Amino acid sequence: MSESRVPVLARRFLARRRRVLVRLAGWSLLESAQTFLGGYGVAMALDHGFLAGRAGIGLAWLAVAAVAIVFGGWATGGIFRGLADLVEPLRDGLVRRVATRALTEAIDAPARAADSAVVSRLTNQSEIARDSFAGLVLVARSFVFTALGALFGLAALAPELLVVVVPPLVLGLALFLATLLPMAARQRAFLDADEALSGQLGMVATGLRDVLAGGAGESVAARTHALIDAEARAARSLARWAGARAIALGVAGQLPVLLLLVSAPWLLDRGLTAGALLGALTYLTQALLPALHTLMQALGAAGTRLLVVLDRLTSGPTSARRRAGALGPADAAGATGGPPRVRLRRVTFAYGPNAAPVVRDLDLTVEPGEHLVVVGPSGIGKSTLAALVAGVLVPDRGEVLVDGRPVRPVGGEPSRQRVLIPQQAYVFGASVRENLLYLCPDGASAAALAAATDAVGLGPLIDRLGGLDAPVDPASLSQGERQLIALGRAHLSPAPLVLLDEATCHLDPAAERRAERAFADRPGTLIVVAHRISSARRADRVLVLDGVHAVCGTHRELLDRSSLYRDLVGDWHSERI
Amino acid sequence: MAAIRRTAARTEPAPADGTDGPGRLLVGALRHSAGRTSALFACSVGAAAVAIALPAVLGHALDLLLDNAAGARRAVALCAILIVAEVVFDAAEALLSGITTARTAAWLRRLGIDHVLSLAPHRAAERGTPGDLVTRLTGNAAEASTAPATVATGLAALFVPLGGLIALAVIDLPLFAVFLAGVPLLAWLLRAFVRDSSDSVARYQRVQADIAGRLVEALGGSRTIAAAGSSARELDRILAPLPELGNQGRRMWHVYGRAMAGAGILVPLLTTAVLAVGGIRLTHGDLTVGELLAASRYALLAAGLGAGVGQLNALVRSRAAARRTAELLAVPPMRSGTDPLPAHGPGRLELRGVTVVRDGTAVLRDVHLIVPGGSTVAVVGHSGAGKSTLAAVAGRLTDVDAGTVWLDGVPATEVDPTRWRREVGYAFERPALFGDTIAEAIGFGPYASSPGEVEVAAEAAGADGFIRLLPKGYAAPLSGAPLSGGELQRLGLARAFAHAGRLLILDDATSSLDSVTELRVGRALVRDVRAGTRLLIAHRASSAARADRVVWLEAGRVRALGTHRELWDVPDYRAVFADLGDPGAAEGSAAGAGPGAAGEDR
Repeated sequence: MSESRVPVLARRFLARRRRVLVRLAGWSLLESAQTFLGGYGVAMALDHGFLAGRAGIGLAWLAVAAVAIVFGGWATGGIFRGLADLVEPLRDGLVRRVATRALTEAIDAPARAADSAVVSRLTNQSEIARDSFAGLVLVARSFVFTALGALFGLAALAPELLVVVVPPLVLGLALFLATLLPMAARQRAFLDADEALSGQLGMVATGLRDVLAGGAGESVAARTHALIDAEARAARSLARWAGARAIALGVAGQLPVLLLLVSAPWLLDRGLTAGALLGALTYLTQALLPALHTLMQALGAAGTRLLVVLDRLTSGPTSARRRAGALGPADAAGATGGPPRVRLRRVTFAYGPNAAPVVRDLDLTVEPGEHLVVVGPSGIGKSTLAALVAGVLVPDRGEVLVDGRPVRPVGGEPSRQRVLIPQQAYVFGASVRENLLYLCPDGASAAALAAATDAVGLGPLIDRLGGLDAPVDPASLSQGERQLIALGRAHLSPAPLVLLDEATCHLDPAAERRAERAFADRPGTLIVVAHRISSARRADRVLVLDGVHAVCGTHRELLDRSSLYRDLVGDWHSERI
Repeated sequence: MAAIRRTAARTEPAPADGTDGPGRLLVGALRHSAGRTSALFACSVGAAAVAIALPAVLGHALDLLLDNAAGARRAVALCAILIVAEVVFDAAEALLSGITTARTAAWLRRLGIDHVLSLAPHRAAERGTPGDLVTRLTGNAAEASTAPATVATGLAALFVPLGGLIALAVIDLPLFAVFLAGVPLLAWLLRAFVRDSSDSVARYQRVQADIAGRLVEALGGSRTIAAAGSSARELDRILAPLPELGNQGRRMWHVYGRAMAGAGILVPLLTTAVLAVGGIRLTHGDLTVGELLAASRYALLAAGLGAGVGQLNALVRSRAAARRTAELLAVPPMRSGTDPLPAHGPGRLELRGVTVVRDGTAVLRDVHLIVPGGSTVAVVGHSGAGKSTLAAVAGRLTDVDAGTVWLDGVPATEVDPTRWRREVGYAFERPALFGDTIAEAIGFGPYASSPGEVEVAAEAAGADGFIRLLPKGYAAPLSGAPLSGGELQRLGLARAFAHAGRLLILDDATSSLDSVTELRVGRALVRDVRAGTRLLIAHRASSAARADRVVWLEAGRVRALGTHRELWDVPDYRAVFADLGDPGAAEGSAAGAGPGAAGEDR
C-alpha cells in the first residue's frame, strides 16, 4: 500500500485558497449572529415584552430576530459563492488529473484497451468528490458557527447555563469523534468489500461463457456468494456503528435539554428568568440539535467517501515513464531532404522484464525510398516493429537508426521526419481540415491538401461530410472512413518516412490498393505492416516474421526461402490479383 | 447452487417486459426480511410517537417548573424517559435499517448471480454489456435493497410532521392558522428550486459528457498520439470545455444557494411568526410559556413534511432500480435435464437439423453433422459463416431454436449440466481467466486439478516455458502478469487440456500462436491429452489439413464435408483461408470477449 497523498495535496489546496476561506468565515459569522439573536431575541421578547404585558416590545425583539434571519439568508448567498470558489477548483484539478493520467497511461501502454473506468472516474467519481467536499465544508462550517452563536447566546443569557449545557455537549462530541475513526475504517472496509464484489461480478459477466464452458458454475457461485456475504457483513458492522453514532448524537443533542430541565429549579433560584429558560431551550433544540444532526450524518458518510474517492483519484502515476514525452527538439533538427535509410541492429524488445521478447535480435535495413511490407501471423510483433521504428517504443537491446541517428520519441510538435498510422485510426471531433493537418507542423497549402485527399481517395467522403471545414463526428464514421482520413493525414505530412501499421485493414481491397499505391508513389521510404497478403505483391521487398525467424527478400526469393510465406501466398494465389 | 436450480425450475413464465417484475421482487425482499422489517417499523413508530409527545410533555414540565408546582419532578422524570426512549429508538432504527438493507442487498445479489450463471452467455450479452450487468447487480441492487427500510421508516416519517400539525391545532387554533398560511409559500419555493436546478444540472452534465467524450476519443487514438508526440496538444483539446464546466458548476451552486437561502429563511420565519402570535396570546393569558415552547417545536416538526415526501421519492427510485434487476431475472435460463451420459462413451457428436436464430436472422440453418467418436473435425468458413455458433451449439453454450444435439446417443438438453461439463470442454480465442494465480487459472473447471495435472496440461499447451519465466512461476498472480494474446490462448488451452473429457472444442483457440508452437500443441494434443473427439474452428489451412475431416460452413449451412485435400481443389474453399491475420474479428464469440476484443496486434 502506498502512502496516501491526500493529506499533503489537501493542505496545499487549502493553503492556496486562504482568501476564499477567510471570506467564507466572514459570511458564516452572520450565521452566528442569526443563531445568537434567535435565542436571545426570544428570551428578551418574553421577559421584557409578552410576560411583562408589553406585547409591542415583545414583537419588536422578535422583529430583530426576524431581521437577523433575513440577513442570515442573505449570507447564505455569499457562503455559496465562497463554496463554489472552493469546490469548482477542486473538481477542475481532479478532472485535469484524471485526463492527464488516462492519456499518459494509454500512450504508455497502447496495447491495453481503453477502459471505461476512466469515464466513471471523470464523471461519477469526480462528482462524488465535488458533492461530498461541498457538503462537508457546508456542514462543518455551519456547525462551528452555529455552536459559536448558541454558546455566546447562552453566556449572554446566564453564564450558569454554560455549566449545564457544555459538559454533555462536549461529552457527546467526544463520543462522536471516538466513533469517527472506527466508522471510517468500517466504511472503507465496506467500500473495499463492495469493490471486491464488483470486481468478481465484472469477471463473471465478462467471462460468463468460460464459466459455463468450464462447468465451474458452482465454484464461481460459491466464491461470489462469499463476497456478497462479506459485503453484507461489512454493511452490518457499519450499521452497528451508525447505531453508536445515534447514541452520541443523543448525548450531545438531547442530554443538555434534559440536564437543563433537571437543573431548572436551581437556575430559577439563582434568578434565571422564564424567557432566558425558553431562549436556552430554543438554542438547544432549534440550533444545536439540527446542526449536530447534519454534522454527524455528513462526517460519517460523506467524509469517508470523499477520502476514498480522493485517494483513488490522486493515487497512481501522474506522469508515468514518458516513453513518448515532450522531449527536446532533437527530432526537428533531424529533418533532411531525401528519404531516409532505416537500420535495425540486433534489436530486442519485450513488453515486460519477465515477458518473452516479442522482437529478438532483429537486423534489418530499409533503403532510402524503398517500399517494405511486413507480413506474419497476428501477435507476432509486426506492430511492435513499427512502433520501434517510429520511436514510440525503445528497444531493450540494440538500436534503431534512421538516417544514421538513433530514433528518439517525438517531441511537442508533429515530426517532420516520420509518421506512423496505426490500425485504430484516430479522428477527433473537429473539422476535416484540422484532422488532416494534424501531422503538419507548418500547415499545408490548399494544393497540397487537394493532392493528398485525391491521392488516397478521400474526395467522396469529404464531399459527403460537407467540405473541408465541415465538422466531423467520429462516431458517425465507419472504421474504413476513419482510416481514409488518417491515411490522408499521413500522405499530407512532410515526413519522408511513413509507417502504415495495418492502416488499411477496414478498406475494401480496391480502396486499399488505391491508398497503398498513393503511398508507393509518394516520395519517401515506406514500411507497411500488411493486413492482407495481397499488400506484399506491391512491395519492393517483404519481411516475413513467424515468431522464430525473420526472413526478408523479394516476393520471388521468399517463395523459395519461407515456408510460412509459401503457405500464406499459396492460399492467396486463388485471389489472382 | 440450490438457488440456481430453483430459478431454473421456475415454472411460471416471467413477464417479458419486466413490468410486473420490480413490484414482485420488492415484495419478495420484504418477505425475506419480514422480522427485521417489522422490528424496524415498530422502532420508527415508537420514535415518531415519542417525537410527537415530547414537545407537549416538555412544555408542560416547563410550566410546572416555572410555577414551582408539585408535579414538576414527575413531569421532568417523564421527559427524561421520553428523551432516553427517543435516543434508543433512533439508535435502534439506524442499526436495523442498515442491517435490513444489507440483508436485502445480499439476497437480491445472490438471486441475481445465480440466475446469471444459469443463462446462455449470448442471452446475458443481449441484456447488456458486462458493465451493465454488473451495475444491475451492484448499484441497482443496492438502491433497490433500501426499499424495505424505506417502507418501514417512511410511514413513521410521515407521522411526525402530520402529528406536529395536529398537535399545533390542538394547542392553539390561531397558531395553526398562522402556520398553514406559511406552508403554501414553502411549497411554492421548493418547486421553484427543483425546476431551476434540474436545468442547470442538465447543462453541467452536457459539458461533462463533452469532456468525457473527448477523452475517450483520444484514448482510442493513443497509438497515433504516441507516435505523433501530441499528448500536450490533446490534453488542451480535451480540457478545453473545463472553464465552461466551471461556469455551469458555479451557476448550480448559485441556484442551490438561493434555494437554500429561501428554505433557510422560511422555516425560521414561520416559527418566529408562530412565536409572535403566540406571544400576543400569552400576554392575554390564552397560552402558557410551556405551550408556546411546544407550539414552536410542533411548527418545526410540521415543516419537516418535505423530508417525508423525499422518502417517498426514495421509494420510487428503489422501485426503478429494482426494475433493472428484475429485468435480468426475467431472462429465461438455459434448458437442462437430469440424465447421465453413458459411461465410457467415445464422444460421438451428432447435430440433427440444427437452426439457431439471432436477432431475427438464422446464423445456422438446418445443420446436419456427425462427428464420429475419437475423430478430429475442423470447421472452416468465412467470417460470419456461423463457425463460433456451431461451436457453441455443440458444447451447449447456447440453446438451439430447432433441431437436436446428441452426444453418445443422448439429447444434450436431457443431460445433467454438471455431468455434461465434466465431459465437454472448450478452449477459446480469447479466454477469460479466473483465479488468483496462473495455477488456479489452469485448474479452473468442474473439479480442481492437481498441481501435477496443471503442469502436464501447461506443457502440452506450450505454456510451461513462459510460465516458468514468470517471477513466481505457477504461483504468479494472474493480475500482475502481462500476458500477450498468444500466452493467454495457451493458458486457455492448458485449462481445457487439464479437464479434457470425451469432447473438446477448440474455438479458434490457436489463432495467436505462431506456426511452430501451433504444430507442437497440435502434436501434444494427440499424445499428452486424454483422447476424445475434437471439434476445432480453424482459420489456417494447416489446421484444417491436420484434421480427419473438414466441415465447410457458408452462410449458416454446411456447404461441403470432406478432407482438406479433397476440398482444396475448390477455389472458393481456398479463398476461405485468404484473409491474413485478424482472425475472428468480425465473428465475436457468443459471450463477447470483453474490452480486450478490439483485435490488438503486437
